[in-house]
Amino acid sequence: MAEISARDQLQPVLWAIGMVAIFFMSIGVTDYGIGGILVWATILAIGGLFEVPAKSGNRLSFAFAVAVAVPVVVGDSRGADLAAVYCVYSAGYLGGWVLARIGGKDGHDIDSAAIRNSLGAGLYAFTFDGLSASMQGWEPGPLVAFALAAVVWFVFEMGAWALTSYGRDRLSLSYLAILAFDDWPVSFSLYIVGALAGFSWSALGWWTLLVALPPFAFAYIAFQRTAEAQSTYDQTIRALSRIPEVAGLSPDGHSDRTAAMAVAIGQELGMTPHEIQDVEYASRMHDIGRITLNEPNILKAGFSEDDIARWGSEIISEAPYLSNVAALVRLQHQPYRRPGEQKDPNVPLAAKIIRASSAFDHAINEMGFSPLEALEVMHRGAAYDYDPDVVEAVRTVVDLGLVNTAPVR
Amino acid sequence: MKAQTRARVLLAALYTGVGLGVLLIAALTRSFPPLMPWLPFALVVVYLEWRSFEINDHLISSPSIMAILAAAVAFGPETAALGVGVIALLAPFRPVDFRERRVVVPLVNLGQLVTSAVVAAFVLEPFLPANDEWSNWTVRDFGLAASGAALASLVYNAVNLGSVNLAVRVIYQQRNIRPWSRMGSMVPSSILLGFMGGLVGATYHVEPNVLPLVFGLLVVGYVGIGSYSKLRDAHEGTLRGFIKALEAKDLYTRGHTERVAYFAQLIGEELNYRGTALERLRWAALIHDVGKLAVPGELIRKRGRLDDREYEELQRHAHMVEDILAEVEFLRPMVQIASGHHSRYDGTGYGGTGHTAGEPPSQEACILAVADSFDAMTSTRSYRMALTQHYALQELRSHSGTQFAPEVVDALVRGLARTGERYGSPSMDSDVLARMVAEGRAGVEAHHG
Repeated sequence: MAEISARDQLQPVLWAIGMVAIFFMSIGVTDYGIGGILVWATILAIGGLFEVPAKSGNRLSFAFAVAVAVPVVVGDSRGADLAAVYCVYSAGYLGGWVLARIGGKDGHDIDSAAIRNSLGAGLYAFTFDGLSASMQGWEPGPLVAFALAAVVWFVFEMGAWALTSYGRDRLSLSYLAILAFDDWPVSFSLYIVGALAGFSWSALGWWTLLVALPPFAFAYIAFQRTAEAQSTYDQTIRALSRIPEVAGLSPDGHSDRTAAMAVAIGQELGMTPHEIQDVEYASRMHDIGRITLNEPNILKAGFSEDDIARWGSEIISEAPYLSNVAALVRLQHQPYRRPGEQKDPNVPLAAKIIRASSAFDHAINEMGFSPLEALEVMHRGAAYDYDPDVVEAVRTVVDLGLVNTAPVR
Repeated sequence: MKAQTRARVLLAALYTGVGLGVLLIAALTRSFPPLMPWLPFALVVVYLEWRSFEINDHLISSPSIMAILAAAVAFGPETAALGVGVIALLAPFRPVDFRERRVVVPLVNLGQLVTSAVVAAFVLEPFLPANDEWSNWTVRDFGLAASGAALASLVYNAVNLGSVNLAVRVIYQQRNIRPWSRMGSMVPSSILLGFMGGLVGATYHVEPNVLPLVFGLLVVGYVGIGSYSKLRDAHEGTLRGFIKALEAKDLYTRGHTERVAYFAQLIGEELNYRGTALERLRWAALIHDVGKLAVPGELIRKRGRLDDREYEELQRHAHMVEDILAEVEFLRPMVQIASGHHSRYDGTGYGGTGHTAGEPPSQEACILAVADSFDAMTSTRSYRMALTQHYALQELRSHSGTQFAPEVVDALVRGLARTGERYGSPSMDSDVLARMVAEGRAGVEAHHG
């Protein structure tokens, strides 16, 4: 966990003061009843406690849906009652922040999420109000205004999330942006269920919930199950890649450490989340071919690193969805360039990353080198054994302490 | 074969005929809805009908019924039947059917879809206010429309299920499907889907903007379900692939894992395992021998008896499975199953730490033990020929209560009787001969898992 600077601690305090100020400024302007404002603010605050898991591992809170509904409900066909909406937002997000703080989760996450969400919601309400006023009289006008405003909010929210995570975790911006935009189904469902409740509120009252919540529950179950299935799958891959280690045919923990290093390098080099997943699986399983060494006659006949890569790739290619991974495992032991030859253009960057990561762990945990000596080994092999760019990335990853380089024993 | 083809063509003709007949009645007595609400509804229904996913071994009742009933309520009583009838006419022709030049199945689908949609619309009609009273729907109208839609949904599913069962019997000549056993489990979901569809359709009359939002939400849910089922397939495919690699090491147990998984599923179905529980059982069966990957190949293939040291080495694999799998959160309940498959019902025998001595192992573990032993006896091993099914079942029964759980053994017998399948060697009908073949075996357990 990164250290929290004084500036980071000051931010939420300034934000909370701002929220209180906005609340009192707006409440003087609006003639919307205080009772209604408090009801919506409470719903908004409590909505923040419910979260929907998204593909990137983010959990998007149900407060999005409530915040989307508020300008539609608190207003009329001409647009939103902006002052009342800002009252609800400031009180609701402040309340939600206090509730989350009491809940005792990672403080930094809560602070930045609260700041980001309240700014985004304010932007959304402002855009929605302006657009629906300009499209007054057109029947689907409110719907179009909502859709455009939601897009504005989505872009702001995801961009802001990528920026704050970039500052903290130092992952490449393009990686984070793609990761965030992969979450669109979850964001989309939250926006829609909010708008649904908002638009049918005046006609249906509480029946709205019956119309809006079941389809949302359907989507929610789908997301929940997807998240579960993803972690199930990851864990299975991890378990299977541990088999040669348990059988004593490969150093204990080598696949875990190689994977951690390979993922860090991949992120450092700006690979997409999809590519990173392949790198992770392939680096976990790069030694799976060693299972074959269980056969005594193979040990007698002798084998090369190329045989192990081939056996491993043969095993993995039995799994229908892992053909990319099988191809990477087949190629990961290739040197960057043999002396006197051109480098092989068919070896992808991912394979070179796995080779370097495996060698780095070998140097530390098998040869007993220090991280500095291991880096020295990598530098000596650069441009022949290892891709120079990858070696550079290993150096950055080690310098910044992004992976644990302490020897196991 | 010829007769079956004729039966299929006849069936397709019959279904299409009934469907078109019902549609004709609707066309003569009702009118067609205006294009504006009709077209978007038609697109949504067709989309939902084209994409159906299997979840946890059973098909969820398709949400297209919800869209069909929403459409019927939105169209109003005078145009509902013809409107949804024509939509149902479009839905069964999926692109994949065109690509693979299938005719019979889409025609059968068409017949049953049109029939059930039109019949459902007829059932719904009395519950709806007349078309010219649309402007002022009351809460009572909402309730009536939604309840009517729930009833119509039940009728829709009953018609659909009845005709599907008939079709499956004729096309696949399968006799042992139980026609109405699935109806019970479908009642709550079809009532709910119908009720929701009715509400959505009624909402259209007061706030048309809501409709695209509801369907947008459904589509997102479908996308989510799609990626979920893809991940599940990938997971199972990976497990199966690795099992194949494992079995490549031992010629004599080839297919063992797949068969054990199949028997475990058979027993599980008899013992009313459903959905995720059944899936978990199958995965546990697939993974139950993964520890063998860590056992030297010569030991697995050894002919004749193992000496004490070798036997100990082999037993270690039960614990190795745990070492590998215990780190995996979701596998933990399975680890207990996988390492428990060598433990005995009365609580003795070797097993992993998931199982305490003196306590009966979990029912999942008992199922695996029976499935494993049954396959071990009915398949040829390096040290003996396959035994007969009769002998294997007798052996299981005689050890039931001590080594095996009685209800699990009974479930296997019932499952085999239900499917009418036979395993093991067909030539040795005499138990005496079987006993002679099995000679040298100390109990059923010595099959080296």
